[in-house]
Amino acid sequence: MSDEALAAGVASRRPRRSLLDSERLLAVGGLTPAVVYIVALVGFPFVLAVLMAFSDVTVGDPSLDFVGLETLRQVLEDPVFWRALRNTLFFTVVSNALVVILATALALILTKDFKFKWLIRLLVLLPWTTPVSLATISWLWTLDTIFSPIDWVLRQLGLLEGNMIWLGQPRLALASVIIVHTWRIVPLAAVIVMAGMLAIPTEIRDASDIDGAGFWRRTFEIEIPLMAPIIGVAVLFGVILSVTDMTVVHVLTRGGPTNYTQVLASWAFYKGIEGGDLAQGAGTALFLLPVLVAVAALILRFARRTEVL
Amino acid sequence: MTYDPREFTGLRRRDFLRYLVMAGLAACGGRAGVDTTGGPGTTAGSGPSTTIGAPDIKFEEPTVPLSGELRILLWSHFVPAHDEWFDPFVQQWGQEVGVDVTVDHITVAEIPARISAEISAGEGHDLIQYIAPLSQFEPSVVDMKDVTEEASRRWGEQVAICQRSSYNPNTDKYYAYCPGWVPDPGNYRRSLWETAGLPDGPTTWDELLEYGSKIYSEQGVQMGIGMSQEIDSNMAGRALLWSFGASIQDENENVVINSEETIRAVEYMRDLFEGAMTDEVFAWEAASNNEGLIAGQLSYILNSISAYRTSQEANPEVAADTFFSAALEGPADRMVATHVMYNWIIPNHAQNVDAAKEFLLHYTLNYEAACWHSQLYDFPAWDSLVPKLGDWVADDPFGSQPSDKLAVLSDAINWSTNVGHPGPANPATGQIFGESIIPVMFAEAARGEKTPEQAVADAEAKIQAIYADWRQRGLVGGDS
Repeated sequence: MSDEALAAGVASRRPRRSLLDSERLLAVGGLTPAVVYIVALVGFPFVLAVLMAFSDVTVGDPSLDFVGLETLRQVLEDPVFWRALRNTLFFTVVSNALVVILATALALILTKDFKFKWLIRLLVLLPWTTPVSLATISWLWTLDTIFSPIDWVLRQLGLLEGNMIWLGQPRLALASVIIVHTWRIVPLAAVIVMAGMLAIPTEIRDASDIDGAGFWRRTFEIEIPLMAPIIGVAVLFGVILSVTDMTVVHVLTRGGPTNYTQVLASWAFYKGIEGGDLAQGAGTALFLLPVLVAVAALILRFARRTEVL
Repeated sequence: MTYDPREFTGLRRRDFLRYLVMAGLAACGGRAGVDTTGGPGTTAGSGPSTTIGAPDIKFEEPTVPLSGELRILLWSHFVPAHDEWFDPFVQQWGQEVGVDVTVDHITVAEIPARISAEISAGEGHDLIQYIAPLSQFEPSVVDMKDVTEEASRRWGEQVAICQRSSYNPNTDKYYAYCPGWVPDPGNYRRSLWETAGLPDGPTTWDELLEYGSKIYSEQGVQMGIGMSQEIDSNMAGRALLWSFGASIQDENENVVINSEETIRAVEYMRDLFEGAMTDEVFAWEAASNNEGLIAGQLSYILNSISAYRTSQEANPEVAADTFFSAALEGPADRMVATHVMYNWIIPNHAQNVDAAKEFLLHYTLNYEAACWHSQLYDFPAWDSLVPKLGDWVADDPFGSQPSDKLAVLSDAINWSTNVGHPGPANPATGQIFGESIIPVMFAEAARGEKTPEQAVADAEAKIQAIYADWRQRGLVGGDS
């Protein structure tokens, strides 16, 4: 039998490619749920928010009558909006700076060998697994004006007389919001950083040991620079969680005292839902977009340059 | 001044947490341990009873044949016994008239957002209740003029503050049906005020300042008039404004907030804060003054009787020491806002409008039972519906000692008014309420962030912008 005949015989016995073997169909089938999800739950609400921001829609009158830039002008003329914008940036920057420091330190500790490491890892992750509203309510009690356990400890140590009234004074209220944000984001960031840390080849550590690098030098000159891109990813998640969150402020302070802790997300809610002016609420929320886009673009660009993503 | 409140009360953290949980459950509509199986007069252990002595349920045939489903959304009542009565009451009516009724209770804070979502979606409940005027939803709700007029035909004239909290004179539309309201008396701890030399509590704002400051400095117990972004602070701020002759709008819905009277009221609040309160009043949420009173940490609050009812169960000692005062006399008036103003709306998307309206008439017919089962928390919009109300508050069937402790509520209608007074409750007043502009105005001056004049001027700028916005939509009158 000639080679051609043999080849023809093999080809005739090969099963025909079915639809299930189509890579194109697999790609479409695999991507469709994600695309539908994004269009339905991100794209559509986003377009609706933009339309609302250029309309005079209220909670009682959902018709979208176009009013041009009038709604945005009203939003920008409101001093509380500017305070909310400043607070949003301030909370995000400070809490994420703290997150980077604490998450890196935590990751360094959790990658070492010690007894009950699994238990410590579990405890570290707990804040992340707790629903944010429940966790914030527990903080609300922890920061209670009269019976705060923090105050009690400070009183026992002789560092405090009376009560701090954490949520009733602007600076302390700001600090409280930052603490809760940091507390809740650190576990996720720590896990991300820890994964990056474990991915560093052991040869590099061995080489640095042979070269006589100590802990500080190895940490700051080798490990952290190598982990910078993955820390960037952790920051990206942290920023998005901080900027878009309204639960912490809503539960802890409702934006008070005197709107000192108001953020864009909470102010959009109070203006749009509790105040009834959906257009201004949507207009306020719209200002989250450039902040998020800019931050995401910066971090993703940074990560791409360092060839992580 | 700083002090350790435990020195004065001996309250332990464990006790506080217990009271906090119970107050929170009560405020959120939980059962809070209320037992409805005991007899009237029972307090410690079993809690006030709402079963024995309760009025009989009345029934009248609907004016039109009913069928289908009826979906009702309402708050989880601050007095949980009310909901224990209400749910079977609704089901019983549904069986009588052939309507399949569903009742959903959610916490009060979630209701405005839920209404917004349902109206935007164009579907949801047929009948929705809230505890404040819902004028902002006017374009999307059914006119309740017919059911209100029918109720007035049956039971007489509706209480004026209820009418002003459900009717828009600019559009001649009843955007809501208002069958009842809740008074907002002063709650004070008699032992503290007795020691200060005023055993019957304050009757004027001047006394509140003088003796409240004395109690704080000598007995270490602060006062609880909130200046936070929540409902009770909003109510308290308005009471103070009206008592000083100030208001947000006049009777024709013109903005008049920036006045000498408002500035005097703001100065008074600043003095009251400096003399008798701590920074905690800037951080409060709706249940905070309840919790503070129940825990024995506050000398005076402006609230309904719900905190007292909860303390009867949670802290009988404090309940025995809690007494009530009418609205405080100010330089110009003696007036407080209603603590709750019930508004029932039927969204345009409702599938069973007839059943919703007939149910409202049936519910109103039985308002005596609603008042009873709310342990005298709910007051009627038609006085003839609860003829025994005067007797009940004069001799509380729910275990008050002395039994006439609530007698001060008998003329509460004379010193209570609606949000928006002296004008109607309208979407602008609703938005000002929602954004807590009045408590923030008081707080800015009290904290020394702004002078009273500046705080009032800034509040006026925000308020004028809101009025201009709603006037463009034709829902608010006035021109300045």
